[in-house]
Amino acid sequence: MSQVDEKLSELSRRRRIHQGLKLLLGVVVVLVFWLGFFEYLHFDFEAMTKQLPTWLEFLGAFTNPNFVDFSTWSIENGVTGWSGLVGTIGYAITHPEAGYDMLSATFGGQRQSTLLGLAGTTVIIGLCGTILGFPFALIFGILGSERVVPFPFNFIFRGTMSLIRSVPALVWIFIYVPLVGINPVGAVLAIGTDTIGILGRLFTDELEEIDDGPIEAIRSTGGNRTQIVSFGMLSQVSTAFIAWTLYSLEINVRVAVSLGIVGAGGLGRYIAIKRSLFDFGVMAAGIMMIVIVVLTVELTSTRIRAWLRPGQHESPGLLDLLRGLGDPGKWLGMRPSPDVGPADGDGDEKTAVDPDESAGGGLVGSDSDDADGEPRS
Amino acid sequence: MASVSLRNVTKIYGEDTVALDDVSFDVDQGEFVVILGPSGAGKSTLLRILNGLTRPTEGRIEIGDEQVGGKRDEVAMVFQLHYLVESMSAYRNALTGALGRTGWLRSVLTWYDESDKRGALDALDTVGLLDEAGQRAGSMSGGQKQRVGIARALVQEPELLLADEPVSSLDPKAARDVMGYMKRAADERNLTTVASLHQVNIAREFGDRFIGIREGSVVFDGGPDELTMDVMDDLYYGGDAGEGQPRESISGRLEEDRESAPETSDTEVQA
Repeated sequence: MSQVDEKLSELSRRRRIHQGLKLLLGVVVVLVFWLGFFEYLHFDFEAMTKQLPTWLEFLGAFTNPNFVDFSTWSIENGVTGWSGLVGTIGYAITHPEAGYDMLSATFGGQRQSTLLGLAGTTVIIGLCGTILGFPFALIFGILGSERVVPFPFNFIFRGTMSLIRSVPALVWIFIYVPLVGINPVGAVLAIGTDTIGILGRLFTDELEEIDDGPIEAIRSTGGNRTQIVSFGMLSQVSTAFIAWTLYSLEINVRVAVSLGIVGAGGLGRYIAIKRSLFDFGVMAAGIMMIVIVVLTVELTSTRIRAWLRPGQHESPGLLDLLRGLGDPGKWLGMRPSPDVGPADGDGDEKTAVDPDESAGGGLVGSDSDDADGEPRS
Repeated sequence: MASVSLRNVTKIYGEDTVALDDVSFDVDQGEFVVILGPSGAGKSTLLRILNGLTRPTEGRIEIGDEQVGGKRDEVAMVFQLHYLVESMSAYRNALTGALGRTGWLRSVLTWYDESDKRGALDALDTVGLLDEAGQRAGSMSGGQKQRVGIARALVQEPELLLADEPVSSLDPKAARDVMGYMKRAADERNLTTVASLHQVNIAREFGDRFIGIREGSVVFDGGPDELTMDVMDDLYYGGDAGEGQPRESISGRLEEDRESAPETSDTEVQA
């Protein structure tokens, strides 16, 4: 048998072993699901079939959701169905002065009873929780990195963040019950605490991935320890830090909905109450409101992150950001960024890197050296 | 009085890896010295020792009148891969050269002295990037980034400028441009410069003096006229020119380098 035949036989044998292992893994996964879902969790297909008509009735409510609680105008005038939403918008446009008063009442004194006001509460819970958690996440994230604090001392901070992460926000709110009760303030504290654990860990991971080059360069300029951290390390990850924080905000608005269901207020609480009353039409309107709020926050965050993408200059300016927000083509990602263009001099081309597609795993990537199109030794 | 003086400098990594073996030479004020040698000869170690980033195992180094013990602010370094903060503008990158004399809070808040701000723009002007001062470093070409790296080193107001293979990642035209700007900056400011280079032709074009290092030892020290093909053979191949066609290889590289160089450059250095 020649050496080539021997190698071929060896590779075939390895491939058969790999395929056998994959098959075994597949069988184990199916077995775990079967035992877990049917035996351990007692899934009852018959009972589910009996509930199917009720579920279909509920789904049918989504075709005609009842936005009667959308605003003070819809409540006062008893406007139901889609008209509650569309009518409120129409009223605000056609009666600017009265519309302003209506919106003031909706987001003001009567915010606990209108969908718009409750949506505002949910967004503000998520926003305040993120703002509260951010500085602590930044401190813990930086001090948790081995590049800043030597091992094993960095594990004091990493361990604290792990401890915080081990308790979900839904449990943190109960921990804060004796302090502030179950209300929007408790939700902000719970989300803020949760943010420290999750965002801090993301910050630490970003710092672990940075290049040594800029650190050495700052050291060689005579920078002290804090300057090396600020310019050599944090400058490399500042954009990614902002992007992760915005991503954290998106998650936190969703968490605010969940906390509302256990009583913290906002849209979650509205849905929980309507579910207990089996008022499917109103509940469907509440769920649609959640979709609108979460998508709006997500799209705004995506636009801001796109604005932070590496461009020709340090920042294209706030006005460009605002213009971008009003451009539907940009929202849908249908137009190329105006930042993309050739760089001056030396015959190289600048390539803007899509942060969501960057290999680094961060939400906002940095320009790759390879993008210069120059040979690297 | 020599600007830089090395006496019997030896560097041993680990137990027995000798990177530099009893290296001694002087560099005069304003001299542009090019270190040549094959990969692994000890060029980078020599530069890192001069910059204080690495400590020698033995020997004595003096820059000006002072003996080098640790890192010195008066020694600036241009790195092979520029090592800029890509999210910052060329101007702010150049300003990081002033970190050694700026407090942490002032530097974070970008409250640099007016003289440092002017110095950063002056340095960018020296390397032909004044118009691109506000441009983000990450969006610049490799050659431009390296020129910002030179500007950052100039802002440091060094006595000694070091460059560790500053053009090895650039095409011949960009490499000539970058070396031209570096030479111009060194001449204008009467800076003592020590640069390690791989491109022999570019080295001959810009260097005042050449120091050849092989296996950690100085095997050549002389001017451009003394840098003959035999010297290069000895430096890169230990004089073993009969085997593996090294002479042809070097000649080929020199010729290739010469042919690829444009007669006129778009970004020619303004003398």
